Amino acid sequence: MKHLKTTALCGSLLAAISGSAFAQGQFDGVELKMLAIGDTSVTRLAPIVDEFEALTGASVQIDMFPYPGLIDKIVIEASSNDPSYQLMWVDSPWVGVLGESGALLDLTDLVLRDAEEIHLDDIIPIQLQENTWQGRLLAFPASGMIWHQNYRKDLYENAEEAAAFEAQYGYPLAPAQTWDHYIDIAEFFTRSAGETLAGEVLEKDFYGNAQAYSRVAGAITHDFFPIMRSYGGQYWDPATGLCAMDGPEAVAAAEVMKRLIPSNPPDYLGLMWDIRTGYMERGEVAQSSYWSVRTVRLTNPDEAVLPTIGEAGYAASPTGDGNPQPTMTGALSFGINSKASEIEQQAAWEFIKWGTSRDMMRRFAEEGSGVSQFHVSILSDPELQARYPYYQVLLDAQENAQRRIFHPFYADVEEVFGVELNKYMAGETDSAQEALTSACTKINTRLAVFPEDLRLRWINDEPAAIFQ
Amino acid sequence: MAYIRKRNRRIFLIFLLPAMLVLFLTTIYPMIYAGYLSFRSYDLAKLFVPRVFVGWSNYAEVIGSSEFIHSLITTFKLMAMTLSVQLVLGVGIALIVTQKLPGMPLARTLLMIPMMISPVIVGLVWLFLYFPELGYLNYFLSFLGIESIPWITSTNWALWAIAIADIWQWTPFVMMGTAAALQSLSPEPYEAAMIDGNSRWDVFTRVTLPQLKPVLVSLMFLRAIDAFKIYDIIFVLTKGGPGDSTEVLSMFIYRQSFTFWRMGVGAAASFVSLVIIVVLITLFFKSLQREQHA
Repeated sequence: MKHLKTTALCGSLLAAISGSAFAQGQFDGVELKMLAIGDTSVTRLAPIVDEFEALTGASVQIDMFPYPGLIDKIVIEASSNDPSYQLMWVDSPWVGVLGESGALLDLTDLVLRDAEEIHLDDIIPIQLQENTWQGRLLAFPASGMIWHQNYRKDLYENAEEAAAFEAQYGYPLAPAQTWDHYIDIAEFFTRSAGETLAGEVLEKDFYGNAQAYSRVAGAITHDFFPIMRSYGGQYWDPATGLCAMDGPEAVAAAEVMKRLIPSNPPDYLGLMWDIRTGYMERGEVAQSSYWSVRTVRLTNPDEAVLPTIGEAGYAASPTGDGNPQPTMTGALSFGINSKASEIEQQAAWEFIKWGTSRDMMRRFAEEGSGVSQFHVSILSDPELQARYPYYQVLLDAQENAQRRIFHPFYADVEEVFGVELNKYMAGETDSAQEALTSACTKINTRLAVFPEDLRLRWINDEPAAIFQ
Repeated sequence: MAYIRKRNRRIFLIFLLPAMLVLFLTTIYPMIYAGYLSFRSYDLAKLFVPRVFVGWSNYAEVIGSSEFIHSLITTFKLMAMTLSVQLVLGVGIALIVTQKLPGMPLARTLLMIPMMISPVIVGLVWLFLYFPELGYLNYFLSFLGIESIPWITSTNWALWAIAIADIWQWTPFVMMGTAAALQSLSPEPYEAAMIDGNSRWDVFTRVTLPQLKPVLVSLMFLRAIDAFKIYDIIFVLTKGGPGDSTEVLSMFIYRQSFTFWRMGVGAAASFVSLVIIVVLITLFFKSLQREQHA
């Protein structure tokens, strides 16, 4: 151990002298473990971690788990004084609970120190802000996300379908700009087996839309909140710090989801994120709005059927009245366990820099796999844009974007709203207002025991110190 | 003599010690600790939430919660669904497999396989069967011209889907207990009943069933305790949904403890659940005693 520390100290000194660039074998013998998800932000990187070991000497083992239950494992890990994992995959809404608990290392100084090396100026600012808690940067983006709509471009451009749509609804068929349009399109394209779609007789039912309605891990809230925000809804009352997700915008969003049910697959109440995206990837629905983390699959025939039978189109999320609203962003990021040893924390930061570097992101994009990118230079690259048409949507949407919910009680919000909204969609609750009021009441009961100034601090989105 | 008795007692204690130690570490200490937690505000995830003594407020919250009452009702509903079918099927199958027919010993063995499988595996097997788009059950129903059933994604079907999986797994338990009891019944009453010219149904209802009653009551009681604690299958199949249609008591406790990380409330709910089970056990033994006296 002493030898390890001496080696690492020498390595750190070398790195400091050379402007923090990798020093060959700098972390010989250091073993890092990462608690992560089995999704693109990690699966692209996992097979090549040996390259990092060859560069620095530190070995990295990535343990991948499904999203449901992952936060539970991270929370348990964070509450341990003798952690097994030095690196943690972080979904940006978890920053609040992990930050307030002191579970993650503050990366602010490291980022500022290595700003040039990590091309800080090239990273979309909101992706960094997504990972801040009270101004401190607690995780670093490995995949940036926005919530946007995907649609069957080949069907929208089919002359027969376009004419029929215009005849029926009185306006041209195009990516929806309002939720009412979105519902019209969903309704129009919902067809039964035996009916015709783009001139071909359907062998099985075709659905106008697929959204996540499952209560498991609050999946339904991951669609509900972006829709609520697209109506201009707020999470919290800025005067009290209590739940405000039962206002008219929230009700409108829940009602949109309810109105979309007839156009969804019949198992809609069980639709999780991946099952929902699966419908789009197989080309079995006309449109589906979701987080861009899986959008890349729609461009890759090895990962989706759609590119072989049609073509995907991409557009910004519809809004309530068609006027622009700030887009919902998210970030899937890597953080460092605050209880890891100093040498492990140094190695972990080197790993994060390596795994999220602009070169690595470009390499993923060029290899055809890619993640949801977050560097301006990559998203605006004309060659890559031609290959990944949704890059422009990602770029445009993040000019005026709002971060996701980041409250320390996020897990409670996700679960409580997940159940109440799911009950409303299942017809167990009579109205959206009743469901949302019930959910807000439950959240407020838990929040009311905390002083107002603390509640207000929790909802305050302080700009990251790296921007000051 | 006294010395030998004293030495023997010491040897007994030495032999008992490992078992007592295991019992203390795995059951008694956790229970005492859970009792301690149930009077505290203890949030495992939110380390910033003060961990303080809160008196009976966790218990008051649990008992006053509409979700708890709903989960209790759903638990009893599921118990009624599974126990009634398991009783009828278990006795019926036991009557068949205790006949002196070829292949019956093998049939008995095969029928017992489901109860030997871990409930999580049972849940996964049924998940494949129920899966909305790709499930085998709907695939077979389509051959019969029957439309797909949203087994685990409909509030009307989900509890039945759980019940069917539980019935599949635990009917063999009832069958096994009943078969054992049937084989131990004395033949004389049957011979007398046949000589008296009773029909097979009369013999079953007037001779067999009364003799089986204590065994059946015991079997149903054991099943009721198990059904009250059902968790694994629901966790795998529905996680309490859709809506809250399959949210049983154990799922309520799980959500409080491991979704909201409110260990104090979860512990209080566990103790309330324990009290309900103890009341059930007491009622059972009282009814058994009444049976014996009668």
